[in-house]
This record gives sequence, structure tokens and C-alpha cells, in this order.
Amino acid sequence: MTKNIKIAIYSGVVPSTTFIERLNTGLSGIGFQILLFGNRRIKKSSNKNIHYYTHTNKLSKLFQLIKYSVLLSLFKLKDKKKLDLIIDAFGKNKRLLKVKYYPVLYHSPDIFHIQWTKSIEDWMWVKEFGIKLVVSLRGAHINYSPIANKSLAKMYQRLFPEIDGFHAVRKAIVTEASKYSDIFNKTQVIYSGLNMDKLSFQTKKAFDNTPLRILSIGRNHWKKGYSYALEALSLFNNKGIDFHYTIVGAANDEELLFLRSEMSLEENITFLGELSFEGVLNLMNDVDVLLLPSVEEGIANVVLEAMALGTIIVSTDCGGMNEVLLDAKNGFIVPIRNPFAMAEALQKVAQLTLDDYQNIINEARKTVEQNHDIKMTIAQMEDFYQTILNH
Amino acid sequence: MRIGLVLSSTPGYSETFLTSKIKGLQEQGIDVVLFSQQIDKEFKLCTVIKSPRVYKRKVFQILAMLFQLVRLIPHYATLKRYVILEKKHNTSFSNILKKTYLNSHILSQQLDWLHFGFATQALGSEMVAKAIGAKMGVSFRGFDIAIYPFKHTGCYDSLWKMVDKVHTISDDLLKKAYQLGLSKETYHQKITPAIDISVFQESNKKFHIPETKIHFLTITRLHWKKGIIPMLEALSKFKDQGYDFIYKIVGEGKEYERIAFAISQLGLDDKVLLVGKKERKEVVKLYEEAHVYLQYSISEGFCNAVIEAQSMGLLCVVSDAEGLSENVANNETGWVIPRFHVKELENKIIEVINFKESEKKQVSLNAQERVQKFFTIEQQQKQFVDFYLR
Repeated sequence: MTKNIKIAIYSGVVPSTTFIERLNTGLSGIGFQILLFGNRRIKKSSNKNIHYYTHTNKLSKLFQLIKYSVLLSLFKLKDKKKLDLIIDAFGKNKRLLKVKYYPVLYHSPDIFHIQWTKSIEDWMWVKEFGIKLVVSLRGAHINYSPIANKSLAKMYQRLFPEIDGFHAVRKAIVTEASKYSDIFNKTQVIYSGLNMDKLSFQTKKAFDNTPLRILSIGRNHWKKGYSYALEALSLFNNKGIDFHYTIVGAANDEELLFLRSEMSLEENITFLGELSFEGVLNLMNDVDVLLLPSVEEGIANVVLEAMALGTIIVSTDCGGMNEVLLDAKNGFIVPIRNPFAMAEALQKVAQLTLDDYQNIINEARKTVEQNHDIKMTIAQMEDFYQTILNH
Repeated sequence: MRIGLVLSSTPGYSETFLTSKIKGLQEQGIDVVLFSQQIDKEFKLCTVIKSPRVYKRKVFQILAMLFQLVRLIPHYATLKRYVILEKKHNTSFSNILKKTYLNSHILSQQLDWLHFGFATQALGSEMVAKAIGAKMGVSFRGFDIAIYPFKHTGCYDSLWKMVDKVHTISDDLLKKAYQLGLSKETYHQKITPAIDISVFQESNKKFHIPETKIHFLTITRLHWKKGIIPMLEALSKFKDQGYDFIYKIVGEGKEYERIAFAISQLGLDDKVLLVGKKERKEVVKLYEEAHVYLQYSISEGFCNAVIEAQSMGLLCVVSDAEGLSENVANNETGWVIPRFHVKELENKIIEVINFKESEKKQVSLNAQERVQKFFTIEQQQKQFVDFYLR
């Protein structure tokens, strides 16, 4: 039944986020036709159910514009004229919009699923052509952009009622998004899933915590709360516990370099640039604890991955993390913006016996297996799309 | 005497620190010329020479370089000295060429002093003063000494060798410069920022602070180093204790989203107003309305706004970042709290609010007196003349 269903999963770029890439592979695996639009920065995959209608540079953009102008004029002239009127109404960047919109109109997916809520206004037109519009609710676009930008909040209020379906990566974000319009009935929470076969669990054979090896992973952005982590580690250091903290993805940041120096922690804290996925997994396996000091998150993939691998988590209670973690059962969860609580949780980890450490990581693995297996995510997505189409 | 000042842009009307410096020097018969990348047409205080433009297209860049080299022919001796100096410091040929172009507008001048407004401004121009036979001065202003070198280790090594005299706005910044390798033998002079006290005058401030309408104020750029989020965290706890207040933050900056999110997440939407940038007149009005001025910076050169707030009789609670503890005399003209101690900040705010009216009034008077004694434009102008003449 899924065989002929065409889904466009759109984030503007290919490849997209890890979650979307996993989704593309998984959905194409069960027979969905996946249509990708936008700017492509990788080689096309050989998967016959994934179709690329992408551009790579200025020349290919021009080629795409000419190609789809001709194809639409020949086979969908009426639709083209209708879309041209819509583009005219936008008033500016008409050529750019044609490059973006023409391939979508020509290939007309059954569902157009966009990843960035902020851009819904750009894609409302697909509904005029019988294409269902689905939106993923993601952290920044719901949690702080409409707070800082009031016109965005108004746009959400105006357009949310017209969206066919919302996909949420966690429960809490649905409540946040519902501030703009009541969307509970057309939203499905589908957690991010991991390929469990690729993340083999390694139980700790010994827990030698001198020094306690702590790791954080993620691009340097204020929402990651690294400044709180540094404050927490300064307190932790005052407790006289030996540690080493590494942040992957935050090299050369002025604020963090300044704080590290002010706290005299140059010897204990290392900032690294970005690493390959394998490099990250190796590091995760090597350390004693993965720290997520964020003030805002969805459900952090790095946390799920570390839980799958067998590394203990200390996380703030941000975003949807309390939908994954139960304090002292499968990890440790502390209030946001609270370096004292973070330092205390790290101290608790440092004082765990090997048995306690193993119990917690076993529970963590179980949690991920039960709720975050990619197979489950794919099945739920299939169900979600079917519901939208039958509506 | 002729002094060349190097700045990134011509100072705006409200930048009294620089405009009053220029005026003060001119009043003593000193000729001032400004070297700047951006020039505001409204600026008429002194001669301004624009720094050479960097072109994206190579052809234009090469033509511009040739043009500047031709212009330097009458200054052949200076140019020769400059190249020899750069060579001595192991600068590659291509870098000498690049630096000659970028400094050509200064190399063609005759000056007694070449003064860089910020230490970062001197980077790439360390040899210029000596080449033109001038003394070299540099100002330490905050970011350039306290933050920039973390990302650029050893960036001032050449500067320390060439500079004749440094101007620091606080003792703490000078200490930091010594840690960065500045020789203790180098002449230095501390000249703090100053304000026009005729503009920022106390106007019958009321010290009875109503518990229902406490007005807090901060005037600052929205930047991580300004410590706005710790101030919000302290005020969120303050709110939890049942106090009602309004907190206005005046200024713009790239951390707007981070701060707006924190306001919302900390449940302060109805208490905190990000009012954006304001004209001086409006700023004075905001000082008049406020009871307590907060400046819990993580890093801060000295902070003009804190001098203004003290001059206007506000109760100032600040952090001990760099120059702030020299700006506010702890327990005398305001209160200085260690950084990274939000709880202490919260406690101090509560303590200050609950002081007797007479105690608040005394601190306010002390603050005004101290500003009049140490931070007036007239004193600053005199100190700058001394800087070059001594």
C-alpha cells in the first residue's frame, strides 16, 4: 500500500539532520517513494526509492529552472500559471522561488513534510495543489524563535490551523506549540530512533574514576549551556575530585576560552572541533559520563547514543530529556541553569560502585531499546502518514 | 605637537571618552589627526584620514597597492626604515607588501605620537610609529586585553616590544597585560573613563523604594561578557520571594535571542523589558526612573554607564569584573559582588532594597561625590595632555 505514496521530506539541504537521513532510509526501505528537493551536498545514494530533484551549484540551479519551466509548460500549464500568480504575490526573489517551487509542483508528492516550522509560510501554496502539508516541530523554531520574534508568533497563530499534520519529537514541545493554536488532535509524537545494531552495548568491566572522564558533544551554541558546565566543573574541582572534561564541537570559542581561564581549568578541560561519527562513538565508549548541560533541547541524540553504548548520563531537565531519563534509575537529571546541582550529580557518578554503574547503564540501554529503536520510529511514521492521507 | 589616533570608526556624539580627549588635546594647541576605517560625515572635530580599502577582486587590489606605493615615493626614507624594521621581525615579503599597503595612510604622515585606541588596533601596525619617527602609545580598553588574547595566543608579542607608553583604564587590565607579556618597565598611565556630569546629574532621587514597584536598570550591549543572564537568574529568584519589580535593559546586541529566551524560560516576561538602544536624553530619563542599577558583568573594562548611574545617584550593584571594582567603591558608593555567585547577587539586591532610607541616601551621595572627584571630563582631559607631554 505504501508503494506508490510519494513523500517529500524537506529541509532545504541534502543531507539533512541525522534523524531525517535515518528516516529517509527507513521509509524507503518499506516502499515509500522519498522525494528530495533543495541543495545537495553529497553524492546520490543508489537507493531506488529515493529520488533526487536537487541542485548543487549556480549552473545546476539555472538548468533546473529551465528544465522545470519547460516540463510544467508542456504538461501542467494550468498549474504553472496558478503557481506563477502565487509567486508574483510574494513580490521578491521570484526566480529563486521558481527554482525552489517548480520541481515540487511538477513531481507533486502526496505529502510535503517540512522540517523547519519558521518556513511554513513559504510552503502553504502546496495545499492549493492537493498536496498535504506536514510540519515537524523542532526546538528552536518553537521554543525561542517566536519568543524573540513576535511576528513569527503571529504567523504561527494564523497558519497552524491550516497545516494537515504535525510531527513532534517529544511530548513537551506539543504543549509549547499549542500556545499558538490548538494542534493536539493533529499531532503525533514520534521519538527519534537509533539503529541499535550499530550501537553495541559495552558494559564497564571496571570503573576507575580517577580522573573522572566527562564528555559533552554538540556544536557551540548558547542553548547547549556549556557556560553552566564550566561553572559546575569549577565547583566540582573545588570538591577535590580529579576529572577531565572534553567538549567536542566547541573549539576556539571566545566565551568558553575566557571562562576556562578565569576558572583556572586549562589543565582539566579540552575543547575539540568536530569529529566523525565513529570518532564520537569511540570517545563516548572511552569516557565515564556524558554531560548534557543544555538550557534547551529536543531529545538529544547524543544522549540516546551514549545510553545505547553504555555510558552514564548527567543531563539537565531541558526539553524532552525527562521523557527519557529517570533520575538515578537510568541516568541523572538535574534542573536547568543550575551548576550546583550539576556538580552534585557528577559527584554522585564519581562515587558509584561498579555494580551501581552497571545497573544504571543496563537500565539506560533498556530504555533506548524500548522507545528509541529506528524500526519503531519508521512504523510510527508510516502510520502517521497514512492517517494524514486518509483524512 | 601632532598626534595621530588610530580608531576603527570616528567617535559618535555620545562617545565622550574619545571626543573629550580630542577636544582637550586641541585646547592645549596639540594638532590631532584621526586614522579610521569608517568615517561618519557628521564628525568635524579633527582631520580624518581613511585607511586603505581592501578589495575583493585581485585586479583592483593590485592597482590600489601600486597607487599607494607611488604615493609613498616622496617618503622613501620612511618606507625603507619600515621595511627594514619588518624584516628584522622576520616578516615575509608578501606580508611586508600587505602591511605597507594597509599602513600607507600613516606612513606618509609626520607625527610626534601614534596612539592606537585599542590594543587590537595596533596588530599589524606595530612598526609604523618607529618608522615614521613617532612615539607609540596604546590604550587598553577591556575586550582587547581581557578576552581577545585567549583566541590569539601571543598576539601582542611584537606590540610589547615596540610600544613606548600604555594607557590603561583600570589597574586590573594593566595586571592582565603584564600576564600577557608586557614589560613592567614600559611607561604606563591609568586614565579612567569620564562623564559629562552636567548631563548626568542627580535630580531629587527618592530613596523610599516601594516593594510593589522596584525599578532596576542596566545599560549595556547584549553580549555574553555583560553577564545579563546571571542578573536575570538572580531576579527570577527575587521574584520567587514575592518582590514585584520592573527591570529595563537598554541596548542592542547579537545575544538578543539568548537573552529573550532566558527571560521567557525564567518566567520574567512581565518583569523584564528589552528596550533597545536609546538616545542620551532618554537614557537620562531612564536613570531618573530607576532605583537600582545592576552591572553583573563577567568581563568589563571599566563601564561608563556605572559612572553615569552613580553620578545620577542610583544604588549600584556590580560584579568584580576587571575595572568594575575600581569604578564602584564597595560598601561606600555601591556594592561589588564576586562573579559567578548568583546567590550572592540575589542576597545583595534584597539587602539593598531593605536598607534604611538614610543608608541608601548616604551611599548615593558618596557615589555622586566620588564621580565628581575622580571621573569628570576635565580631569580626564588634563591626564591625557600629561600622557603625551610627560
